[in-house]
Amino acid sequence: MAAPFLEVENLCKHFGELRAVDGASFHVGQDEMVGLIGPNGAGKTTLMRLITGILKPTSGTVRFKGEDITGQDTAKIVNKGIAPTFQVVKPFRHLPVGANVMVSCLCPRAKRRGDWVKTVELRARDALEFCGIADLALEPASVVSHGDLKRLEVARAIATEPELLLLDEPFGGLSPAETELMGKFLRRLHRGGRFGRLHSEGPAMVIVEHKLSDLMKIVDRVIVLSFGQIIVEGTPDEVVRNKEVIEAYIGKEVSSLVS
Amino acid sequence: MVEAILINGLVLGGMYAVLAVGFALVFGVAKILNMAHTAFYMVGAYLILIMSIMLGFPSLPSIVLAIAIMGITGRVIYKLFLDRVKEHPVAVMIISVGVAILFQEVLLIGFGGHFRGIDPFIHGFVEIGGIRAAYQQVIAIVTSLLALVAIRLLLSKTQVGNAIRAVAEDREIANVMGIDVSRICVITMGISAVLAAVAGAVVAPVFMVHPLMWLHPLTIVLAAVVLGGLGSIKGSILGAFILGFAETAVIFLVPMGAFLRGAVGLSVMVVVLLLRPEGLFGVVFEEERL
Repeated sequence: MAAPFLEVENLCKHFGELRAVDGASFHVGQDEMVGLIGPNGAGKTTLMRLITGILKPTSGTVRFKGEDITGQDTAKIVNKGIAPTFQVVKPFRHLPVGANVMVSCLCPRAKRRGDWVKTVELRARDALEFCGIADLALEPASVVSHGDLKRLEVARAIATEPELLLLDEPFGGLSPAETELMGKFLRRLHRGGRFGRLHSEGPAMVIVEHKLSDLMKIVDRVIVLSFGQIIVEGTPDEVVRNKEVIEAYIGKEVSSLVS
Repeated sequence: MVEAILINGLVLGGMYAVLAVGFALVFGVAKILNMAHTAFYMVGAYLILIMSIMLGFPSLPSIVLAIAIMGITGRVIYKLFLDRVKEHPVAVMIISVGVAILFQEVLLIGFGGHFRGIDPFIHGFVEIGGIRAAYQQVIAIVTSLLALVAIRLLLSKTQVGNAIRAVAEDREIANVMGIDVSRICVITMGISAVLAAVAGAVVAPVFMVHPLMWLHPLTIVLAAVVLGGLGSIKGSILGAFILGFAETAVIFLVPMGAFLRGAVGLSVMVVVLLLRPEGLFGVVFEEERL
């Protein structure tokens, strides 16, 4: 059997006494869209940061396409094909939206030898167009609305031509209409294809999200994290009916979903 | 008198601006205060002296060669000394001062403390609108302005410029987007050393070359960067020209003014820090990031 696409094994991160991530093991297939949920403080964001190398794990391993990438430098990991987005949007506020995406196009992975600036600009524009914010390309990122910044985050991530996207609350702070749009757009991205000059293989995705009803509509599989440990793994339907999950979540959101 | 102040102010201001831009660039991108920056300028001037006077190369090739050598030297110095301690600002300052003194001592041993002159590349004067200026001064002004335009184009129009701006704004996010931050820092340091060498090439024939010539521009560059606002390139260019003109005006208008030129930069720095610590274009508090 071929090595799994992303394989996380016994990953631990301790901050002093606090065990933010405590022995998490899971895997993600090459054509999967996986939801990562859990109550506040369950360690979801920490887990994402461990995978991308922003935080160094206390113990455990992360393997991507069979290669051990545990604790490597973030830029290196990004160039291997994992692209993260953040819960709190962090654009380069002084650069225009277009230039923000161009920076991603410059990473060694996405860069083609002998590319002119114009070509890079066009590729960045395609990423923006795909996310539906091409009209904002010349605006400085500091004046763009929150919803559009969320899409900019994704545009920046896909401009590195990733094989695995780690999305941290892509729906956070979006209106219901925007959320639906973003959900559809992620689904479309996952199907893959060609978008102008950007080639997408249909990246695998791990999505951390609190808006469960919207998340369940788009993912294939859900992993539930609580106090740094994985308590349940399964299809959206199974997870929603699971007693442990309902307990972990106070039950409100999940039971409303069941009905 | 007025035209003399104008011409000399432009020559000095242009040279300070080229130096200040390089200094501000490295500060903005690599977050290090490179006190050896003006030593690069001095070494650049000496390289031109060695090649054009001692080895007898023609002027233009020796300038190009000197600039290229300095570009490499800047990168080597960064890799060798500064990269390892870049997390500790004080260590960076001490080491870079050390590097500058090292250059100074080597030059003192090699050439002695004499003031040396380099022949102007073109002799003679030109009259523009009734103002007489030496060709060499015109060349100095034009070259400085060209260097400033070139760096502006490099930052705004090229791929590497885009990456440099991104790293200057937020190195962590640039890293997350797959940019090799330390490589960009090395490149920036090279660009900055090239700018310093250009400044050296520009003034070597106008002023004297001597092993302590890095000290005075260093205070001016620090003052210009503080005046313009730390990290703002636009601000440092403006600050450099203001200081260039202020210095020239003091030399020409104040009796015994030439002795006071060193005080100009420092006084401006003190006043700015007292009245407007963020400088002309600086930001007082960077927006809090989460």
